[in-house]
Amino acid sequence: MDQSFALRRRRDLIMACCLAGTAALLPLVVKDVYVQNILVLTLMYAALSQSWNILSGYCGQISLGHALYFGLGAYTTALLFTKFGVLPWFGMIGGGLLSAVLAMALGYPCFRLRGHYFVIATIVIAETALLLFQNWEWAGAALGIDIPVRHDSWLTFQFTRSKLPFFYFALGLAAVAWLVTFWLEDSRWGYWWRAVKDNPDAAESLGVVVFHSKMGAAAVSAFLTAVGGGFYAQFVSYIDPESVMAFQFSLLMALPAVVGGIGTLWGPLLGAVILIPLKELTSSFIGGSGRGVDLIVYGTLIVLISLARPEGLVSLFARRRKAPAR
Amino acid sequence: MTPLLQISGVWQRFGGLIANSDVSIDVGRGEIVGLIGPNGAGKSTLFNLIAGVTPPTQGSIRFDGEDVTALPAAQRCQRGIARTFQVVKSFETMSVIDNVIVGALVRSTTMREARGKAWEVLEFAGLAARAEVLAADLIPSEKRRLEVARALATAPKLLLLDEVLTGLTPVEAEKGVELVRRVRDAGVTVLMVEHVMEIVMPLVDRAIVLDLGKVLVEGKPADIVRHPKVISAYLGDRHAVVA
Repeated sequence: MDQSFALRRRRDLIMACCLAGTAALLPLVVKDVYVQNILVLTLMYAALSQSWNILSGYCGQISLGHALYFGLGAYTTALLFTKFGVLPWFGMIGGGLLSAVLAMALGYPCFRLRGHYFVIATIVIAETALLLFQNWEWAGAALGIDIPVRHDSWLTFQFTRSKLPFFYFALGLAAVAWLVTFWLEDSRWGYWWRAVKDNPDAAESLGVVVFHSKMGAAAVSAFLTAVGGGFYAQFVSYIDPESVMAFQFSLLMALPAVVGGIGTLWGPLLGAVILIPLKELTSSFIGGSGRGVDLIVYGTLIVLISLARPEGLVSLFARRRKAPAR
Repeated sequence: MTPLLQISGVWQRFGGLIANSDVSIDVGRGEIVGLIGPNGAGKSTLFNLIAGVTPPTQGSIRFDGEDVTALPAAQRCQRGIARTFQVVKSFETMSVIDNVIVGALVRSTTMREARGKAWEVLEFAGLAARAEVLAADLIPSEKRRLEVARALATAPKLLLLDEVLTGLTPVEAEKGVELVRRVRDAGVTVLMVEHVMEIVMPLVDRAIVLDLGKVLVEGKPADIVRHPKVISAYLGDRHAVVA
């Protein structure tokens, strides 16, 4: 009986290795810089959405304020590098730790809120942070920070001639986010989170400290999101508050998971592979005049999926359960 | 030996409403104690007080020689108090085995250990065949059984059963009674709230009748059912006189 569980886990792991291997070979075929750019973004959003999924999918605390952690990661990396000469690698880790601590500090009051009220709080906090950064002179205020590009190097994580290093880093990031989720899924935290999402009262009665569980999920989720933000800062080499902390980033992290399958291992990746290229292609075909049309396409897709497949597209692949109908 | 559970002088007020007034109850080790009473007698409130959902307005609760009055629910579970809910609260999106694993984690250091315990409990509760089914897909009597299994997985010293036998068919109820007996034989003390007298009375060693938030009478089931106060509480004074 218990073997089926072990088999399922092994199958997931093998599939992930195959996918990662295939993805690693993609640059051999894809030479076009524009397409490579889309690949980088897709992998980055897969990683971000996977991180978002830990707090919002598994633990059920829907956050629409993850742009805060993304922006914080980007700003920490950029500021440490431009002001103090700290290498982006440490910047990413530092931004991650800072975000994890901030997530717990914010979680302390916010995790007392349930349902919609929690969602509203996350939006408001992220928007407040956006305003603060727009007015913070030392951090470049609304003008942002230009990260000076010296020369291509893995040490400073800057590459001007090729997108490939970014591609491989993004692939690594997506792989790490997936592995962390994979590992957490079969840990006590994973079980606690799902229990907290389904029924906090019952979870508490079974010895799960609901508050601590949420704090743990928030910290891991924020850390990974901020590392993604640090990467993005290096990738675009210029950041301002609007371009890393705007509300749309919170949506772009949430939507792949929702479309693919919220609270599932594969949902965020599947969602990102579908949504991100679609978004990039529509916004570039329609061009500057049609700003917002990509969001219309997005919205339509979400309405369709929530009508036809509320569990997410991943459920198309799920093996049929032999359970009888209710 | 001190009783496993000692409730002394417990009051619970919700604004102007007094749900429990001056309740004092002892539950000894290895007993099956029934907590009965008409609707609104304060049974569920008392249960929530024991499980730690709300702290009492006044009074103290001691468990296994320790004052647990101020401890929240999760910590009481860690001390050895487990409960089921009157309205079942399964983890609907999780499979049956995963539901039970959540309970087993309290006393396990590794996932392998928790998984092993969960399987044992499922076998014990007669749910092993349904292990991979989603909790949402269970029929009501199976959901009740899952509630019990999940609570048992926390390896409790005291199991609080809140109307687990209510609303079942006679055959299902019979199986439920048998399960409760086996739980006690495994060394777990049971305190159960039940509505249906004819099911509870043969099962319990002792019954406590609550009415209007107070302990009305307590004693052997056979004496309880004939007690005039109990009859009048359930059926009204007229019947008490007739009896």
